[in-house]
Amino acid sequence: MTISVGGKLPEATFVKMGAEGPESISLGSLLAGRKVVLFALPGAYTGPCSTSHIPSFIRTADAFRAKGVAEIICVSVNDPFVLKAWGEATGATAAGITLLGDADGSYTKELKMDFTAPHLGLIGRSSRYALVLEGGVITHANIDEPGVCDISTGEALLATL
Amino acid sequence: MLTEGMKLPDATFPVVTDDGPQTVKLSERLNGRRVVIFAVPGAFTPTCDSAHLPSFVRTADAFRQKGIDEIICISVNDPHVMRYWGRLTGTADAGISMFADAGADFTREIGMDYSNPDRGMLNRSRRYAMLVEDGVVTRLHLEELTGVCEISGGEALLAAI
Repeated sequence: MTISVGGKLPEATFVKMGAEGPESISLGSLLAGRKVVLFALPGAYTGPCSTSHIPSFIRTADAFRAKGVAEIICVSVNDPFVLKAWGEATGATAAGITLLGDADGSYTKELKMDFTAPHLGLIGRSSRYALVLEGGVITHANIDEPGVCDISTGEALLATL
Repeated sequence: MLTEGMKLPDATFPVVTDDGPQTVKLSERLNGRRVVIFAVPGAFTPTCDSAHLPSFVRTADAFRQKGIDEIICISVNDPHVMRYWGRLTGTADAGISMFADAGADFTREIGMDYSNPDRGMLNRSRRYAMLVEDGVVTRLHLEELTGVCEISGGEALLAAI
């Protein structure tokens, strides 16, 4: 399965940090009947993700909401403990961005967005992309080449709406 | 399976430094030296943050007074996460080396891997602490239960050597 406008995402179960600890959440339940922004990145605490990618969605979160986006979701191949710490450190959690862990990387692999860079210690991680979905259908897709953070930023996606 | 008397397999760990990504070879750190290695299930997980890692920050100087050349923390995380976690928890200041077993190869090879998918923890390391002399495990403190840090803590290992 690959990302394409008019297509859908694979069904997936993610983990997120809840009040009582890690919780499972199905992607389908988040997408059904709603307008959602979903973006993915290689990993918490990696250079460009922390310094440019996630801040671009923190800056644009309110503008997306003003365009009817019900939820902004960030997916990364990380565990929920790391994502919780990272969300608090970057301000993403305070900005209302939902951080979901594709802990075993299976969703990312099914989408064929996975890459491995052993010298960076990144195994089976996600390339960057940003999507708008309405009722689970992809209406806008900005996909970056591996190692690049350009058209998958918040501002670039916002400009397409 | 990790046991006392065992010669540790060699491994290569990616490390992120101010100068960029580098790799370290475990055997080069172990040959002809007395080294303490402890392993944790994951950065930012509750028991690691609240008990295990701080116990080695507290005891780092005492280990050095006993002739320990290096203290190494190993976790199945990527080196970006390990670097930030080390800064936040004071291990960097305490002189503890943070090694990322990014692909879990070392942890699997010594039979210390476990998975808890409900918590988003895949192929992680059991909690243990050991004294390694010239690459051979001479004292092993392996925690039997998850969520517990008792015999694998810094004070318990210090008392045993």
